[in-house]
Amino acid sequence: MNLIKYIAGRVGVYLMVLFTGITIIFFVPRFMPSDPVEGYIGRMVYQAGQTMSAEDVEQLRESLRELYGLKGSLLSQYISFIRRALISWDFGPSLAGYPKPVSEYIATALPWTLGLLTTTTVLAWTLGNLVGLLAGFFHGNRITTVLEVIGVILYPIPYYILALVLIILLAYVWPVFPLSTTIMPGALTIRKLGEIFRNSFLPGMALILAGFGWNVLGMKAMAYATKEEPFVTYARLKGTPSFTIMFHYVFRNAMLPQITALALHMGMIFNGAVLTEMLFSYPGVGSLIRYAIGNGDYNLIYGTLSLSIVAVATAALIVDLLYPLFDPRIRYR
Amino acid sequence: MIRLKNLVAKYTTVRGQVAAVDGVHLEVPDGIILGVAGESGCGKTTLMKVIYGDIGFPLSLASGSVEYGFCTERGEPVTTTNIRDYWFKRISYIPQSSMSALNPVIRINRQFVDFRRNSKREADILDRVRQYVQELGLPAEAIDAYPHQLSGGMRQRIMVAMATFFHPDIILADEPTTALDVVVQKGILLLLMNLQEKMKNTIFLVSHDMGVHYQITHRMLIMYAAKAVEYGDTNAVFERPLHPYTRLLIESLPTIGDTQTRQGVAGRPPSLWSDLRGCRFADRCPFAREICRMEEPQLREYCAGHMAACHFVDRFM
Ligand SMILES: Nc1ncnc2c1ncn2[C@@H]1O[C@H](COP(=O)(O)OP(=O)(O)OP(=O)(O)O)[C@@H](O)[C@H]1O
Ligand SMILES: [Mg+2]
Repeated sequence: MNLIKYIAGRVGVYLMVLFTGITIIFFVPRFMPSDPVEGYIGRMVYQAGQTMSAEDVEQLRESLRELYGLKGSLLSQYISFIRRALISWDFGPSLAGYPKPVSEYIATALPWTLGLLTTTTVLAWTLGNLVGLLAGFFHGNRITTVLEVIGVILYPIPYYILALVLIILLAYVWPVFPLSTTIMPGALTIRKLGEIFRNSFLPGMALILAGFGWNVLGMKAMAYATKEEPFVTYARLKGTPSFTIMFHYVFRNAMLPQITALALHMGMIFNGAVLTEMLFSYPGVGSLIRYAIGNGDYNLIYGTLSLSIVAVATAALIVDLLYPLFDPRIRYR
Repeated sequence: MIRLKNLVAKYTTVRGQVAAVDGVHLEVPDGIILGVAGESGCGKTTLMKVIYGDIGFPLSLASGSVEYGFCTERGEPVTTTNIRDYWFKRISYIPQSSMSALNPVIRINRQFVDFRRNSKREADILDRVRQYVQELGLPAEAIDAYPHQLSGGMRQRIMVAMATFFHPDIILADEPTTALDVVVQKGILLLLMNLQEKMKNTIFLVSHDMGVHYQITHRMLIMYAAKAVEYGDTNAVFERPLHPYTRLLIESLPTIGDTQTRQGVAGRPPSLWSDLRGCRFADRCPFAREICRMEEPQLREYCAGHMAACHFVDRFM
């Protein structure tokens, strides 16, 4: 019964977050200085010269507004937007790339971003926590200290510097990896998979290095503190093997805050995506967001931003729902 | 027989070394409950650590050793150097707070078996454990629970079950009931007593409660400022205490029907860091003389099995 209450509560919060986020997304672009309809009309008038009458222009404006969902009062626009965003997931056609629908753009870009960023976030989390655990548990050991120092050094370096260094070293000096991502369209074959891996390696490496240090530091501090807990001492005095103590006693407890951190990182995936995809010309959602904003493409902005909000909220929901599996004390609260 | 041979154990700190157990030399007969009492900071926990063989930074054994009275498979006597191999097999330990001594995110049954390296089949052991905890007054399902799902008393019973399940020769219990309310305390202590009667192992019981010592221990060790000051059968110690400190400890116990308020022992024990000369109790002792401040009294046997470290034991004989 408690479990059902717990799930219902979390899902309720999830829906609230989605609703609030989407509402903000609806209003913010309306304060942007560039109006896509006027921009488009300006271009048409410029191309057509004097042949367009004022009436024609007015008619064009009307039909464009209707097409782009900009017609009617703000309230009715808002209601229809909420309906489309939350229920049918239809953001209409892209304004800059008319008439290709926004959902199609997103469908092409999303797998790239999700593939790259979930893989690297999970890898950085796993590696960082493993190193942090060893560094905290075997405090003073030479090898783990070296690894820990690498983490400490990497941690404060801004991501774009790491990325640029990697690009310079591995794409210019030793051109092992391509400078920018180019992937031929076509069916997914083994060869193509290899190509995708080769093209994603540099951005992936930069992301892993950037996320690694943070995880090392967090886990090391937690593991070091947990190691002094009475239940760890008691396990040692029982004669429990070190390996079991490290994973079942120290890690199982020290990882709890790290799981929350993983959820937050997962949610911020799209933040990272914009910068990564710009630096590496990677064809994902980040590049799409940049393109949409640069072109004042309302519908595309709505689509991509709504997507990132759904992703953040869903990641948080999943972690919330899984958390009781890791911490049995949560279950009945 | 367990022999504590001239144990000196020191803590290393930034200020230097301090001896928290200073020359304890005793023989403990097998199959008894030995009570250990003394003021906070007198070295009871440190003595337990030394006996358990849990010696590691900052604690070090400056001299002496413990002989446990049993042998390895190869017939060599087990001493401080190899006692670790027998942890929870022949020597076990009951921690003070069961709340924090159990891993909160793992079921108790796992914690019951994870120190036995692939001995028999785990399922068989767990079946026996289930039966065993029932004998100890717990529901069998208790071992499938997480620690937070049990009450404090149940958890402490689990700790007792863990420490006794493999029938160890020696059990160390450092204030095993201080975190519990009085009724539960009594239940746990009676349980320990009954188990000891059945299994005939030796229990070292550290407690601040002289009443507990009187009721359940067979012999008593009184410690003062890192030293053993009195050692003897519990009845003898309570009826005819030889050391003035013991006497004061016992007099501070309330008795039923007694109207005058009880006083604790006035003053404080000397700092282990100071220059300790003569008898360490001299400053608080109502009978102290010149010699007490100059010369350290040795622990001597005055009647059969009753020892004390005082220059003027004769006064109480
Ligand atoms: N880890 C440590 N580092 C340095 N000194 C310590 C350490 N642990 C204990 N001591 C010192 O050793 C002395 C004895 O401590 P111990 O814990 O054995 O006392 P105790 O008799 O068990 O006291 P209590 O009744 O409060 O549990 C104390 O003076 C204490 O300050
Ligand atoms: Mg203590």
